[in-house]
Amino acid sequence: MSGRSAWRGGRLAPNAIFAIALLILVGGVGVIFQSNSTYARARAEQTQSFADILAASTAAAVDFEDPAAAQQAVNAYRVNKQIRLIGIYNRDGKLIAGYDRSGEPPPSTIAGIPPPVDSEMRVNSPITQSGQHIGMVYLDVDRDMRFRAIARYLLLFGLFLLAALVVATLGLAQAQLSRANRELADRAEALAQSNALLEEQMEERAKAEEQLRQSQKMQALGQLTGGIAHDFNNLLTVIQGSADMLCRPNLEEPKRLRFAQAIVQAASNAAALTSQLLAFARRQPLKPEKVDVNSVIEEMGDLISRTVGERIEVVRELGHVQCRIEVDRPQLQSAILNIASNARDAMPGGGTLTISTATVRTDGAGMMVEIRIADNGTGMDAETADRIFEPFFTTKGTGKGTGLGLSQVYGFASQSGGDVRVESDQGKGTRLSLILPCVQVDEPTSEPSRERIPADQPPASILVVEDNEHVGAFAEALLSELGHKVTRASSGEEALELARAHRFDVVLSDVVMPGMGGLKLAQVLREEQPQLPVVLATGYSQEISETGSGGRPLILKPYRLATLSEALASAIQMERG
Amino acid sequence: MKLLRAVIAAVTLALCGPALAQPTDVAVKAAFLPRFAKYVIWPAAAMPKGADPFVLCLVGADPFGAMLEDAARSQSVDGRRIVVRRMETTTTINGCHIVYVGGNRVGQIIGAIGARPILTVTDGAIGAQHGMIHFAIVSGRVRFYIDQTAATQRGLQISSRLLALAVGVKQ
Repeated sequence: MSGRSAWRGGRLAPNAIFAIALLILVGGVGVIFQSNSTYARARAEQTQSFADILAASTAAAVDFEDPAAAQQAVNAYRVNKQIRLIGIYNRDGKLIAGYDRSGEPPPSTIAGIPPPVDSEMRVNSPITQSGQHIGMVYLDVDRDMRFRAIARYLLLFGLFLLAALVVATLGLAQAQLSRANRELADRAEALAQSNALLEEQMEERAKAEEQLRQSQKMQALGQLTGGIAHDFNNLLTVIQGSADMLCRPNLEEPKRLRFAQAIVQAASNAAALTSQLLAFARRQPLKPEKVDVNSVIEEMGDLISRTVGERIEVVRELGHVQCRIEVDRPQLQSAILNIASNARDAMPGGGTLTISTATVRTDGAGMMVEIRIADNGTGMDAETADRIFEPFFTTKGTGKGTGLGLSQVYGFASQSGGDVRVESDQGKGTRLSLILPCVQVDEPTSEPSRERIPADQPPASILVVEDNEHVGAFAEALLSELGHKVTRASSGEEALELARAHRFDVVLSDVVMPGMGGLKLAQVLREEQPQLPVVLATGYSQEISETGSGGRPLILKPYRLATLSEALASAIQMERG
Repeated sequence: MKLLRAVIAAVTLALCGPALAQPTDVAVKAAFLPRFAKYVIWPAAAMPKGADPFVLCLVGADPFGAMLEDAARSQSVDGRRIVVRRMETTTTINGCHIVYVGGNRVGQIIGAIGARPILTVTDGAIGAQHGMIHFAIVSGRVRFYIDQTAATQRGLQISSRLLALAVGVKQ
């Protein structure tokens, strides 16, 4: 754009240049002639005034016929080299005094004065005294000084030169400007081209990066699903096998119990796995309780030993821990197991796993409990150590691990207000420390929830709200087995109608359902039947993890018989008490 | 021949004219006298009234004769004529602007004029007694001295142009 307008200016410029030059010339010539005519006028006036002065100063000399005195007056003008002739004549036209530049005597009478030539200017002035004419002064001067004429021509020449110079300079400048403009336009075009190229490249790069991200995501998803599928397959194998065995007739009671327990254990492990996934996503609502670290570890003794296998010796160095920590117990157990299984993988040839506890004092956060789990395995390099807490980061082959274990540890620790630290020496082993904040002990801690035989409960009328047919049927079977009277509803709306038509002791409702959800149902029921307790059950609910259950009892899926039974019983108890 | 003689006579006259026309000192003085009037300013009271002429008086002997009248006729002062009056004594001196003192009673006549605003002209050819303007022959030419003091005392102003021509000026 700017380049084009400059070009337009470029076409106009030569005319402007010539106009300027012409202006200079015309103006200059005008000034010269003006000054010349002014000069000529001034010169005529000056010459006339010379003559007048001569006339005045020689009046008496002419009157009294005193040529010497007149000549004296004339001689005063001889220094002026432009004066060619001075003639002082008396009344009779006779020369009294005079001067001729050529050296010749001036004409002796007025009549003898030759007419003036072109190069001279002639003035005369009458000599008068008291009104009487007594003579005449004639004065011839050069019309123009020679050097002045030369100067005039020089000036004209200079003017032409100047004009030519102006034209040349401006023309040159114009040419250079045009060239610069051209170059500028070329460069701008080149710049635009390279810019377009760059943008294209950037776009391509962004596309490539997006593709890379996508493929990384797919890779991560592949690892995740692979890992989960692997773990789940193992568990399902156990469950399926055990269930098959249970289906066989005439099974001995100890065997039946063993297979049933295997199913229970496998299902428990599967639950732990899904809970890990959710913890990783930080969507698992934690149920913090005040626990004694040492007792948790002691209880986990068998579990840890089984996890790490026989070739690894488990050593426990439990220190004196004065305080308790407030954590979600299953998550803590998960974290310890995750660390232990990673330690096992670091010691493929066997070794020692040391679990120690201690109370440490930190600067900012006060007293903390440290759970340190050390192995003497292969260790890892700094790069790996930096990344072990990243989700889906794994050193194991595809399908061997989810890459979620240690990220669960990290998620759990930070969610509990603590930290994880890792130290590793290649070839010597790795030490992982879970550091969790102490809490005041102001009430007896709840005993670890052991799997207990459900106590006999008084039969109750229970409304089960569950949109999933299988889970609903399972819950109905479970509760019927415990002697309760069970009514099922498959949606919140249906449950509301049933609750209005019949009397129930307690409602067990799923949270996530199409239409009216469990929370909404509980809210409506509280308004309509405040005495009717509602127990909520959920596998995962974003709503609950964000806002909580509103003070209502909440059980997490998959739930165990005892958990369900206790939750319902205590809800009924609370309402009645 | 008659024509030739006439031409010769004319040529001779033309060549000898200047020599023949060379005026005598008396004639020069006669020519000068009326001209002084153009270079002097009299007190207002002494100036001619109305169309009155300037009066050039000649007291005592008269060396000029008709030459003076001729000279006076050829001159004018701002359009005023100049007339010549001759007198023997100073009794009728009133009304004169310029007095040429002729004869040898110069001191007596000047004394009689006294403080009147009259330009007195004396002649070195007559005596050493000076009037305001005193003729003298210098280098063979008629020149004059000027007594400016005496003129000023009587209220006469003499033009500097005239003073410039004087042989000497008494100030």
